[in-house]
Amino acid sequence: MTSDIHPSIGAMLNNARDWLTHEHSLFQSLNLEPVLLGKGKATFVVDLPEAFTSEEDVIHGGLMTIIMDSIFGLTVFTALEELKPIATINLRIDYIANAKAGARAVCAAQCIAVNDDIAHVSGELKIEDSGLLLATGAGSFMVGTRGPVKGSRL
Amino acid sequence: MNPAVAALIERSAIADWLGFSVQEDDGGLVYALAFDEIHIGNPLIRAIHGGVIAAFLEVAAQCEIAAALGPRAIVKTVNLDIDYLTSSRAQPMQARARITRMGRRLAFVEATGWQASEKKPVAKAQFRLRIGSAD
Repeated sequence: MTSDIHPSIGAMLNNARDWLTHEHSLFQSLNLEPVLLGKGKATFVVDLPEAFTSEEDVIHGGLMTIIMDSIFGLTVFTALEELKPIATINLRIDYIANAKAGARAVCAAQCIAVNDDIAHVSGELKIEDSGLLLATGAGSFMVGTRGPVKGSRL
Repeated sequence: MNPAVAALIERSAIADWLGFSVQEDDGGLVYALAFDEIHIGNPLIRAIHGGVIAAFLEVAAQCEIAAALGPRAIVKTVNLDIDYLTSSRAQPMQARARITRMGRRLAFVEATGWQASEKKPVAKAQFRLRIGSAD
């Protein structure tokens, strides 16, 4: 964990990382592995499992959206000064290329700004080995939504 | 069920993962996302993962195209925009998809998902899809 993230957020992200990789069934099946966590930026490596194909061994775009929504949400947390619940307002995802099941992908996201309780995030998804661009995305998140104070929108 | 829709669901592993099903009423096809613990995004608030909702609406949009074009249809999503209008609950979700415009190579589809009432949509998404025929 890099030191520029607020300590309370860093502790939450460490907890979230344990929970993401060990307890939660969706994220466990994606085998999320953090590569970089800094203030306003996050990079994770993920599996593209066969359970998410659209036909034969081609990964359905829906999995790319699931991955990007998840990492975008985590990226918002890295940018906050105090822990607040967040919720996705909207997402825009462009599917650039097909991915085959069994590949590993890298999702890198950055929180561009947090203004007036709105966080703006963008990112991309690439094949880990080849660097082939699979998808690009952008989203906005409401910061400080009603709900559990320690909640994370993932 | 419409054979083209059935074929699309049959070859789609993600449809199985979503617990995706289709029924028909007077208003057209109604798509369903089964509730499953694996669809939960945040266990603290017990909401369905936003990406799972988007994936569900995307499969619904693709089925709507398949129903219109037949079993030889090739459907590939180009991009999407989704708005999360209200928080979801740990319950099944239903959706309808409406073809806004279908050309020879491109289709525009809007899909809307709801839980308690169709009058209270949880999410609304626009899809642009590249279409063709295997013939």
